[in-house]
Formats: sequence, structure tokens, C-alpha cells
Amino acid sequence: MSGTLTTDRLVLRMPEEADWPFYRAYRLGARSTLPVEMRNDAVAREHFDGFAAHWAWRGFGRFIMVDRATGEPIGHVGPFEPEGHPEREITWTLWSAAHEGKGYAFEGARAARDHVFRDLGWTTAVSYIVPDNARSQRLAERLGAVLDRQAASPYAPPGLVYRHVAGGASHG
Amino acid sequence: MVEALHLATGPALAMAEAMAALVPVIGTDRLRLRAPKLEDYPAYEAVFVSDRAVYMGGPFTTEEAFCDFAQGVAGWMLRGAGMWTVTLPGSDAALGWVYLWYEFGDPEPEIGWVLVPEAEGRGYALEAAQAVLPRALAQFGPGRVVSYIDAGNDRSARIARALGAARDLSAEAARGEADLHIYRYHGQKEAT
Repeated sequence: MSGTLTTDRLVLRMPEEADWPFYRAYRLGARSTLPVEMRNDAVAREHFDGFAAHWAWRGFGRFIMVDRATGEPIGHVGPFEPEGHPEREITWTLWSAAHEGKGYAFEGARAARDHVFRDLGWTTAVSYIVPDNARSQRLAERLGAVLDRQAASPYAPPGLVYRHVAGGASHG
Repeated sequence: MVEALHLATGPALAMAEAMAALVPVIGTDRLRLRAPKLEDYPAYEAVFVSDRAVYMGGPFTTEEAFCDFAQGVAGWMLRGAGMWTVTLPGSDAALGWVYLWYEFGDPEPEIGWVLVPEAEGRGYALEAAQAVLPRALAQFGPGRVVSYIDAGNDRSARIARALGAARDLSAEAARGEADLHIYRYHGQKEAT
């Protein structure tokens, strides 16, 4: 197992310090859905360091999605297992609206989903998605994930829990 | 969060071990400095939520303590500098932590140290920091690494001086925090 995945248009790799200005711009910008008291340098940096620490502790973690054509880091995607969550999750986030609508998130999330089942040996995973994020719900469905109304959520309100299964479809 | 630590298992374990190998193990006369592990975190949190952390920006909330610990781990991957856990040889129990890191918001790399209360008074902090100093000077250059020490933290100030550091008053003036002393390591003086 390595820390890098490659797709048609993306390289998914572990976080590097050079990604920080791009991540920071996303976190401090209007695109972030976090409450305003969390939109500051210190909290953004804690979360960025958290990507790397998660890799060190768990041996897996969120990848940075890099556009192969430009070399620009454009988002983070992959397996996430914070302390206190009831299940392991696959997440996807693009850092700029400029990269939306081109299938990058789907391309990265599909590679990450395949990675957790193929390389990490997981048999299931969830994605927690807020009800008003229709784009992410569509993406989960394209990955073959299904709504699991029985699953526990770490969030209040709980939002929607999509379940991925090994060998699931992906309607690319 | 302390009671349910999930440790790496299965195929991920090899990756976690490869990441830990980024951290050089350093032996001293009495101590071993190794990569921090999630199992060390309960002891870390206990120190940083206590009054022991008063000179280190604390006491912290448990969330702040966790973020601080994560920063010490993440630094190895992101910036080639971070935190070691200090143990006795032959034991895995954390006696404390020693840092060579860029803490977020600080302009310069820093050498730091903290011990659990039971490990105090034996010169362990000095011994651990002494082992890190040559690496710090080699990595960043003489005069390019500091310790940020709160005014009033006499024990740590003594350690910095014993390591050959001296206060840098112009850096302190530039920083503009009256209660923060900046000790600079030029590497000219042998630590005792």
C-alpha cells in the first residue's frame, strides 16, 4: 500500500506543507460551511495538521486531490476516522467553486472508495451529508451508496447517512 | 476521547509504522526519544489540561490539548520537525515530550520540553533537550532556533541557559509580548 492514488485527471497524495495556502484560502473563504467562529487561521491550521496526524496514527487518511494538468491542490478526499465517531467515513471536498461541476470530486471519491475496500480491507463505510447538500447526495448515489436510516450519526442534527459497500456500483 | 483510542491495525499498520519512522529515535544516557503515539495522548492531555500548562498557553481544553498533540505529530510529515515522546529505555510510558517544531503562528523553529509531574526534578528535560539541540542547529543553523519561554517560568529558563541559549531582547521587542522571553541558541557554548 502506498500513500498515492492516481486517476485520469488527479493525483491523490498525502498532505504537504505547500498545500496549506490553498487549504487556508478555502477555509477562510465564503465556501466553507463552518460557523464563523471557526473560520480563522488557528482552527484551519489545526484541521490541516489533523490531516497529517490522522495519517500517522491510523496509517490512512484524507488525500489531497491534485489536478494533474496544473499541479494545483484542489480539495481533500478519502477515509476519515476521528475519535468519537460511530463509524469510519469517506469524505470529499473541493476547495474552490472553480473546480466544481467537472467531476473531480466524483473521480477522487471513487478512487478513495475503491482504496478503502481494496487496500485497507474495509467492508463498509459511511458518508455524513447535510440535507441541503444536494450535490454531495447525488455524488454518493453515483458511487452506489445508499441512504441508511438506521445508522448512527455523530452530528446534531444527524443529517443523512449514506452507506458505501464493497463492490458497490459506480455510475460514472 | 481518551477512553476510545482507535489504533492502526491491518494493512494500515505498516503505513503507520512507516510514518513513525520519519521520526529519528534518539538515545541519551538515561532516556529514549521516540515517535509520539496515540497511546501517549492520555498522559499528554493530563499535563496540558492541568496547571502545569500555565506557562505553555494553558491550561488547555481537551480539544486544544488534542490539537496541540496532533500538531506535534503532523510537523514530522509537513515540516520535517515535530515532537518526540520521552521514555526510559525499556519502558514505553511517556515521561514527557520534547519538541523541535514550528508551532503555528511562531516565526521561528523552537526547542521545547514538558514532563509529566512524576518525572520532574531529575534533569530529564535538560537531558532530552540537550539531545535535540545538535539536530536543531544542524537542521536550521546556529542562531536560527529559539525557545519561547514565559516570564516567570524559571525552571525552563534555567534549562535554556544550561543549553547555552541567551535571551534575544531585540526579537522579544519585535514580538512585542511583554511576558514572553525568547532564548536563542547560537551553539557556541557547550551545554553542561
